[in-house]
Amino acid sequence: MEQWHSHLLRERVDQSSLVIQGNRACALGALDAGVRFFAGYPISPSSEIMEAMADELPQSGGVFIQMEDEIGSICACIGAALTGELAMTATSGPGFSLMQEALGYAIMVEAPLVVVNVMRVGPSTGRPTAPSQGDVMQARWGTHGDHPAIVLAASNVADMYRLTMAAVRFAQRFRTPVILLADQLVGQMRESFSPELVGRYRLTSGDFDFTPTYIHPDLATEVHNPHVLGSGSHPHVTGLFHDETGFPSNDPEKSDEFLRELYNKVAHHRNELCLYDVKNEGKGRVCIVAYGSCARTARAAYKLAEHEGLPVEVLHLYTLFPLPVEIIQQVARRVEFMLIPELNLGQYAHEIRKMADQWTTVIGMGKIDGTLFTPRELLDRIAELIGKYESV
Amino acid sequence: MPLEIEQFLHTERLPHIWCPGCGVGSVTGAFLRVVVDLGLEREKTVVVSGIGCSSRAANYIDLGTVHSIHGRAIAVATGIKMAKPRFTVVVLTGDGDCAAIGGNHLIHACRRNIDLTCICFNNQIYGMTGGQLSPTMNVGDKATTAPYGQVERPFDLCRLAEAAGSSFVARGTAGHIRQMETLIRKGMEHRGFSFIEAVVPCPTEYGRRNGTSNVVKMLEDERARSVSRTAAAKLAPEDLACKIVTGVLFEDKAAPEFQAAYAASARAQTKAPGKPSLEEEK
Repeated sequence: MEQWHSHLLRERVDQSSLVIQGNRACALGALDAGVRFFAGYPISPSSEIMEAMADELPQSGGVFIQMEDEIGSICACIGAALTGELAMTATSGPGFSLMQEALGYAIMVEAPLVVVNVMRVGPSTGRPTAPSQGDVMQARWGTHGDHPAIVLAASNVADMYRLTMAAVRFAQRFRTPVILLADQLVGQMRESFSPELVGRYRLTSGDFDFTPTYIHPDLATEVHNPHVLGSGSHPHVTGLFHDETGFPSNDPEKSDEFLRELYNKVAHHRNELCLYDVKNEGKGRVCIVAYGSCARTARAAYKLAEHEGLPVEVLHLYTLFPLPVEIIQQVARRVEFMLIPELNLGQYAHEIRKMADQWTTVIGMGKIDGTLFTPRELLDRIAELIGKYESV
Repeated sequence: MPLEIEQFLHTERLPHIWCPGCGVGSVTGAFLRVVVDLGLEREKTVVVSGIGCSSRAANYIDLGTVHSIHGRAIAVATGIKMAKPRFTVVVLTGDGDCAAIGGNHLIHACRRNIDLTCICFNNQIYGMTGGQLSPTMNVGDKATTAPYGQVERPFDLCRLAEAAGSSFVARGTAGHIRQMETLIRKGMEHRGFSFIEAVVPCPTEYGRRNGTSNVVKMLEDERARSVSRTAAAKLAPEDLACKIVTGVLFEDKAAPEFQAAYAASARAQTKAPGKPSLEEEK
């Protein structure tokens, strides 16, 4: 196992890139983005993130604490976030389930923090060391009540670094928890990586500048109560419905207004939040829509398809929520089939179906055995679809 | 003349939600008198509470106040204290919030000996939700979820806190409010985890089902059953059974405090010289 220290890493990558584990790249991204507080609880396959933080934070003036459980972990992060610290925790399915109530509290009190969920096969203890994408809907709707959600999905080691930075940025800008989904494969694989990948990065959704910048609470977007404990103010913070003073209110009109504003601060900035990349844009009869490790398979399948003369494009989603409605509908209008390979039983395919099935045929491909799709499996399905279409 | 503690109250938010005779208000008052006494800075003093009748105190106190979620006040307070070591952080919690749903956070905060003051308002019942049984309720007591009498044995919260490693443990009652004030003051001056159990009457939900809802009688009973630690030491175990032992029950000034230990360990590891530690920077 590599001995990893971020400052050493920075020196070494000046010459060339090196091989690093996804979970460690996530920790490095967090540190480079200014995360100074980490509270967590060990769980496979995410523990390397907290181990890296335990190595780095104490010696760089930050705080690392291993809490008694995942509920305590996210609550400690919320406490730190309320004082203005950039806080992060990382977990996997069972721990993510435990965090749900506090996640709702963080949304309600507009505490910016990053929650990384390195997904494993569930439900329950499931298969802790096999990849899955089974927590997609939990990331969206896990906590009770109507609420906004920002959910990103990492497909490789560089994503673990970059998207952690993007998550920090979004959390600060919208003062809400941001969930970064990875899976066992992306988290624990080692891949060549260079932090130079940070900076402006070209995506179909627009160039995204991953360079870390601190966003002052006052500059956050459409926030109600950006009070920070100890910064010259002494706010009241509550998970009850509250008005602009921060104090509870049972007024139906104010409750309605409050929740809609909370929801809309994310919904109204969909264009800024939705990161995606399209390969072979406008040239496919079939579009593979994929995220996370399945996007790797999709990209490989696209290369094979190109070689074999199959008309395939790939829509790689980095942001799952808010839903990238515009690009999904744009692609749906021009392709005959949308193929959605997922390591679950169609959680996101169903979301796409709701947006796209008036224009195209949405086909989900689910896998829950803890293994990945092969590019060949995707291509075979595509050939079958196109063949079937032609024989009709 | 306005009371001195009014500067730390959102008087515009009064009257409060507590029932007539509830002991939460008097102990909250005692806490605020200590805040005045110690001359604490408003911007650097944070009250964290959970969910329940006592946790609603955070709604009326004009300091930095965090009304968090059920059982998690100590975990939130841990994050605040670690991020801002110079803050005075006080947890206001109840017996259900602290010892049932939040029991795990309580014992681990005790074990870490983090410099928080935890005031647990023990009224032996779930008041906010309408009188369900609590983990500190005596055997035989009645509640909506123990209609035939409680059969489970209660926690002794102070012994629990001491055994888990809390370096300051005290118990007082709403019936001895001056003593309560002294205990809170000592707890807040103590560096380390201070656990203070405040025995408070709940005439509406507890008293009504268990003998009397007359709060004067409840307070008199509380006083009659209270014994000091030194007096308790002379009593036979069977005579001690229904007594409330009050005063500072345990104190260890030498126990290493978590934040200080963390900062010392971090300083020893700092590889980049000149980088300020969290403590120095703040």
